[in-house]
Amino acid sequence: MDVSRGASHAEAAPSTGTTIVACTYKGGVVFGADGRVSIGNYIMNRASNKIAPLSDYIFLCRSGSAPDTQIISDNVRHYLHQASAESGEEPSVLMAANLVRLLNYNNKDHLVGAMLVVGWDKHAGGQLYGVPISGTLAKEKWAIDGSGSSYIWGYCDSEFKEDMTRAEAENWVKEALALAMTRDASSGGTIRMYTLDDAGVHYTYIPGDQVPQFMGDLPFPTGGPVGAVLGSAGREGGMVIG
Amino acid sequence: MSIFSYNGAAIVAMAGKECVAIGSDLRFGVQMQTITCDTPKVFKIHDKLYLGLSGLLTDAQTLHQKLMFRHNLYKLREERDMKPSTFGHMLSNALYERRFGPYFAAPVVAGLEPDGTPFLCGMDTIGAIETAKDFMITGTSPESLYGMCESMWRPDMEPDELFETVAQCLMSGFDRDALAGWGAVIHVITKDKVISRTLKTRMD
Repeated sequence: MDVSRGASHAEAAPSTGTTIVACTYKGGVVFGADGRVSIGNYIMNRASNKIAPLSDYIFLCRSGSAPDTQIISDNVRHYLHQASAESGEEPSVLMAANLVRLLNYNNKDHLVGAMLVVGWDKHAGGQLYGVPISGTLAKEKWAIDGSGSSYIWGYCDSEFKEDMTRAEAENWVKEALALAMTRDASSGGTIRMYTLDDAGVHYTYIPGDQVPQFMGDLPFPTGGPVGAVLGSAGREGGMVIG
Repeated sequence: MSIFSYNGAAIVAMAGKECVAIGSDLRFGVQMQTITCDTPKVFKIHDKLYLGLSGLLTDAQTLHQKLMFRHNLYKLREERDMKPSTFGHMLSNALYERRFGPYFAAPVVAGLEPDGTPFLCGMDTIGAIETAKDFMITGTSPESLYGMCESMWRPDMEPDELFETVAQCLMSGFDRDALAGWGAVIHVITKDKVISRTLKTRMD
């Protein structure tokens, strides 16, 4: 028993088994991520920051391999800084997304990073680009990624509306994250959320005890399937030994 | 992925002053997907004996059913409940019978002997039994649970204090485990009653 436990710790790489959610709204973009980093089933960090700044108004939401996405974000931040120094302007979100995409595509044999590039620039306002593993680039109105995203496609499809207000968009991101964190074991901990509009960057941190809950008050557990088999006879008045 | 971390569990049992407490998390999941949060892993055998089973849930359920069967037969023949120490050794023997094709479950037995003294024991998957006077744990994050129990356990705790200690050790232990949590249930066994409580915990 101990041998197999030790093996899973030693061999598993740290992964941001994660949920990242982003959407555009009338006036900007809202995006957020959970805070869990796990090695196997051990939660190594329960309040990590999976949103990396690439420039003042461009951010990268990271999911997949933790070290791979950190290296990608460091590299792209460096290139963007050089580019904006040469041009004298704030970098564009499309340039940032393309740089991330090129790294993913040209190193597809080695890198496992599924990311969202989100930002605001003066050419096109708030924008969101999905950059999944292997190097696709897709401009989207809303995007989700990470292991937890599997559980919220239905929610996101049915609840997303064009031209939401800022409050509606923030609520959509927060609820989507909370729903995924409830079902996905490798997402959880905290929610970090950013809103970008023409006024600037607004950051919200939601600690674990303030994350929306959906389970309500549950009845006292009877013992699951086994309890149902062994306990029901007693309730119906039949003989139960033990 | 290890067969023992396919479902996930966290179980803590502690001894107090003429009482024992045993608790488990409530998550039922398949690898990283959580399916329900109303599945306890501690089962009652009789009023003074509870069994916690971690590991592969199908084996935990089957083992529980087999042990209930054996205890029911024992009750018919002996006309009394089985002592916890006897039950522990019976379980150890039952597990070793399957030495080369084992049940992928690790049990913790908690109960009160007929004279009122607490009994705690734990086993590995093939029945190597160890008794303890203080606490016994099993699950997918044993290091977290051991750390909490070693620092928080004290001898001769009264039932209410024992409940608080088991609750804190269990919750803080499984909050660092991705595969356990989503609620908890704790049973405190004293000589005249059993108090069972659920805990409201983080649901992530």
